[in-house]
Amino acid sequence: MIRIGLKMLFGDRGKYVMLISGITFSTLLMAQGMALFCGLMTWTYSSLRNMRAPIWVTDPKVEQCNDSKPMRDTDITRVRSVDGIAWAVPLYQGISMAKLADGSAKMITLIGLDNDTLIGAPTKIIAGRLEDLRMPNTVVLDDLGVERLSEGRERPIGIGDIFEINDREARVVAICKSYRSFTGGPFVFTTYDRAILYAPNQRKMLSFILVAPQPGLSDEALARRIAERTGLGAFTHDEFKWSTVMWYVRNTGIPINIGTIVIIGFIIGAAISGQTFYSFILENTRHFAALRAMGASSGELSAMILSQALIVGVIGYGTGLGLVSFLGNNLLRLGKVPFLMLWQITAIVGAAVMIIVAISAVIGIVRIARLEPAIVFR
Amino acid sequence: MTMLFSRFSFYLALAGMAYAGMLVLRLSAQDPVLPPPHAPTTTPFTNSVAAAGIVEAQGENLSLGVPVAGLVTAVYARVWDNVQPGQPLLQLDDRELRASLIGQRARVLVAEAAEARQRGMLARLEKVADSRAIIREELETRRSDVQVAQAELAFACATVAQTEALIERLTIRAPRAATVLQLNTRPGEFVMPGAARPPMLLGDLSYFQIRADIDEQVAPRVRPGMKAVGFLKGDTQKPIQLEFVRIEPFIVPKTSLTGSSIERVDTRVLQLIYRCQMADENAIYVGQQIDLYLQE
Repeated sequence: MIRIGLKMLFGDRGKYVMLISGITFSTLLMAQGMALFCGLMTWTYSSLRNMRAPIWVTDPKVEQCNDSKPMRDTDITRVRSVDGIAWAVPLYQGISMAKLADGSAKMITLIGLDNDTLIGAPTKIIAGRLEDLRMPNTVVLDDLGVERLSEGRERPIGIGDIFEINDREARVVAICKSYRSFTGGPFVFTTYDRAILYAPNQRKMLSFILVAPQPGLSDEALARRIAERTGLGAFTHDEFKWSTVMWYVRNTGIPINIGTIVIIGFIIGAAISGQTFYSFILENTRHFAALRAMGASSGELSAMILSQALIVGVIGYGTGLGLVSFLGNNLLRLGKVPFLMLWQITAIVGAAVMIIVAISAVIGIVRIARLEPAIVFR
Repeated sequence: MTMLFSRFSFYLALAGMAYAGMLVLRLSAQDPVLPPPHAPTTTPFTNSVAAAGIVEAQGENLSLGVPVAGLVTAVYARVWDNVQPGQPLLQLDDRELRASLIGQRARVLVAEAAEARQRGMLARLEKVADSRAIIREELETRRSDVQVAQAELAFACATVAQTEALIERLTIRAPRAATVLQLNTRPGEFVMPGAARPPMLLGDLSYFQIRADIDEQVAPRVRPGMKAVGFLKGDTQKPIQLEFVRIEPFIVPKTSLTGSSIERVDTRVLQLIYRCQMADENAIYVGQQIDLYLQE
């Protein structure tokens, strides 16, 4: 019976392509929306991805990593006085303006790394040496920074070139690769003491303290202990990541906007494929009636319709996933679009496609169940 | 089923799923956490109190003061010189005082002459044998004239001594044995008492003294005599053993050590004094920042 069902399905190529493309389009919309959302969310915690540390200590009121409520300089010795700490180093993070050769200004995210250890330094250096950061007035620029700060220059900004941060000279000694931030400013790395000179003077300048536990102590346990002993906020890498993501989910319209895209994708997919499938069943009513007349039971006919719907669903889903991955991969290469494909997305979209398929199949089955064999003769 | 396997769309879907799977795997790969570019300082103790310190000379650095504002005419010491107590360091301009000294010395000669004359007159009067030949009152007057002349001479001499003392005061001398750490003045420059930048900074380098700032919130954990190690800024791997000296009894507002022009007072700190000796393996300089760990 299923063989006959498949023959029926593949028989009309035009109808078949229509059926597949409905599911493909729906998969594409839903998966693209979700991947865009996940990608955008990874941009929000790019500071955590660029400056890797097991534990981040913050002001107790800080909820996400782009928000800096600076602490006092002595807080670092308070954190170091908590037992179980392997090391604790300062980190400055702030938005500054970089002045270019042609006089225009660009926003940058200025990062100040611990002078001695450079903990939190970018790991992927494309050109130059990180060590040269110990020379006066030097910075490390990321690849986005090269693109942004090269405006108005004859050739792209490179090692040894100079720009200005708040009227102070900054000489590029290395170029690194970094994850793009939500705020859009390229990352500019320098040492902590120099970052404080570059940044506009405030009463407190210590944005974060990066901490590592001694061997044998878990990140979570140490973070809890730091929070308890010092009264500061302490997050492990993962806790801070989720705290940041949830802050953006709560405080921005991003989830609602992208959620709408996903829901529209689902509705359009369900409508198109439901309709196409129904008309496919309608067109083949005569064949179903003939089968019924030949003695096929309702169960056999239902199984036939279900298998047809399932094949349409799986093939449409696979094609859609392939399409969205191809699209996303090429967008990623451009580097300007947030895109993150997770297995959870493929699973959720798969489940949604199965629901669409089930709805379509049920509509078809209901139609066939009330079928009179006599219809063959009409 | 063979019918399904013969369809192009089947393989397209299969390829699509495989491609998506690969992308998922590639994107979910986490960057490994690499070790720090340079090993950070770590405490050698199980429980420790951390502090930020600054290196001073033993018994604090000595900012040399001047008694009066004036022009520097000579500088007798250079940086790194070891000076002994009383050794001259600076000479301030004393020409004005020396000029008045000329007049004051002449005044002594005048007073001497006046005194000699009065004494001669008295002597002549006293030589008269017959007491009836002189008026008794005149004799008394002569005697008191001599006393006045002697007092005037003494005053003239005192004025000279006073000026000489004032001149001597313009030679600034080392108050104790020390090393010249910084020289901020050169002959011809003007110095003032109470200036923010002292003309010369002295310090005793037989020991280095480390002034450790401890946040007042951690201060209750501090006990006298805690063992400590220090790591100089820029050298995270060479611990320096420190010897406890004392706890400063007065808690002071913390001043930022970032070198910023604006001094930021944000908390109060308890200060502990430790010391260590100059050794060849640690190049320590006065004014250097140092991270401390105190054993609890």
